[in-house]
Amino acid sequence: MSKEDAKKRTAILKRLREEHKDTVAGAQALLKEQKAIRRQICQAMRDAPKTVPEVAETTGLPANQVLWHITAMKKYDLAVETGMCGEYYLYQLVEEEKK
Amino acid sequence: MTSNNLHVDALVVGGGIAGMQAALDLADQGYRVALVEKEASIGGKMIALSKVFPTLDCCSCITTPKMSAVAHHKNIQLLTYCKVQSINKNGSGFKADVVKKPRYVDETLCTGCRQCEYACPIDLPAAFDLNLGAHRAVRVPFSTAVPQYAVLDIQNCILCGKCETICPVDAIDFTQSPQEFEIEAETIVLASGYELTPTDAKKEYGGGQLPNVVNALVMERLLAPTGPYGHVLRPGDGKEPESIAYVQCAGSRDQSLGVEYCSRVCCMYAIKQAMLLSGALPLADITIYYMDIRTFGKGYEQFYQNAQAMGIEFVKGKVARITEDEDHNPIVRVELIDEGSPVVERTHDLVVLSVGMLPGYNPQTIFGVPVADDGFVTLPSPNISPCVTGQPGIFVTGTAAGPMDIVDSIVLAGSAASEAAAYLQAHRQPELVGDLRVTANEKKERVHA
Repeated sequence: MSKEDAKKRTAILKRLREEHKDTVAGAQALLKEQKAIRRQICQAMRDAPKTVPEVAETTGLPANQVLWHITAMKKYDLAVETGMCGEYYLYQLVEEEKK
Repeated sequence: MTSNNLHVDALVVGGGIAGMQAALDLADQGYRVALVEKEASIGGKMIALSKVFPTLDCCSCITTPKMSAVAHHKNIQLLTYCKVQSINKNGSGFKADVVKKPRYVDETLCTGCRQCEYACPIDLPAAFDLNLGAHRAVRVPFSTAVPQYAVLDIQNCILCGKCETICPVDAIDFTQSPQEFEIEAETIVLASGYELTPTDAKKEYGGGQLPNVVNALVMERLLAPTGPYGHVLRPGDGKEPESIAYVQCAGSRDQSLGVEYCSRVCCMYAIKQAMLLSGALPLADITIYYMDIRTFGKGYEQFYQNAQAMGIEFVKGKVARITEDEDHNPIVRVELIDEGSPVVERTHDLVVLSVGMLPGYNPQTIFGVPVADDGFVTLPSPNISPCVTGQPGIFVTGTAAGPMDIVDSIVLAGSAASEAAAYLQAHRQPELVGDLRVTANEKKERVHA
């Protein structure tokens, strides 16, 4: 990208941020919240594969919320299934699996 | 879509299975068709389903080739992410004002590689997976979407520009704005589809409140190979359910909801899902609580009997309420009519509400097509002309006309295409009928008699 194109792009994004400042603020707040939750979930799964109820118990988050985040992490290749424990699947962080 | 004025023979509104079939049937006869779909991909609700009854064919395997055929047909102009704003009579035809929502992605450049999606930092509830899973603010709508272009949800975007930076073909275009254009067509086919009765419509069933009480479309996604979890798991905590119950007539045949009609598909889809669950979870107990089982179509009764033979339990009785225990296991309170009518409470891992069908769209304001008390399009002669509306030149197909299954939607789509083709012919040339020369207008009136 040329310098001029980069300048144009920055100006467009700046104008759009101004135009959509309410929705951008809402999305930023959601992203911040998501990152905090993900940190907790990743921390809980760091040492060994865990089931959803185990992660929920460790983090204190509702089990359905944990499942939603782990589902999202699985979709975008950040977590994988590694078998079952009773009636629950075990999930592992991808970076842990690579070690 | 770049042209501001599009001239076609027929405008098909709605890109679900009925709209696609009607468009293909017209296009195969040589008519030029514009297919307008409000979502970013065609496919409608069918593309999200797991399998179809009674053959248990894979839905995606049936629908995807049709979607592709629509996209590649030389006589079909596919217009996704577009909405008809208004319709005006234009001589003997119609002029539709259509608005195309901005994708913020250049369709001529996007290859659907999804690199933007992977770069996007924000996860949002995925509507295609009924919020069970996530998608990003910029994404390809689903894996088999047609057209396979990304779409950016500006309302949930932080405008960080990561997608723009990573896109290998510079397809992200933040300068896009809504585009208005006109379509001139001689006839219109409405295929605007259906919505489900809201899961929380019957408060006593706890839908929307109890995490392990879901509707049947959610179960379709759980059963689909492309589903959010990759397995049938209950949404409350990811447990593989060992006991699953269906509650029939949970959104239809119910005066208290104002939905007095039978939705026609609930019995069959519940039986189908129960059979699929038996395959996916061989050890699970599956119960269907019902008032009547209505298996009206070809091969449907045999399908029901096969389900009984497979060990699926059918319990006659209308469920009164659903609560849950401390582990979020739903508790169903029901009268067992075939066992002397004791009222019992049974605990399951997961309960599926067989919700009914509501009209997806009211065409009265924009298309001038009257709707009946139930909200579906009024059919002046439903028995002999099931696609003809009260508005000359506008035909209806699929579940816009009333509740029906996929088979009937496709049959009706063919019928709507035939009616529309006859209307087009009647418009274009006078013809001899017996000893009388019938003018185009007279024939048009006859079609709508």
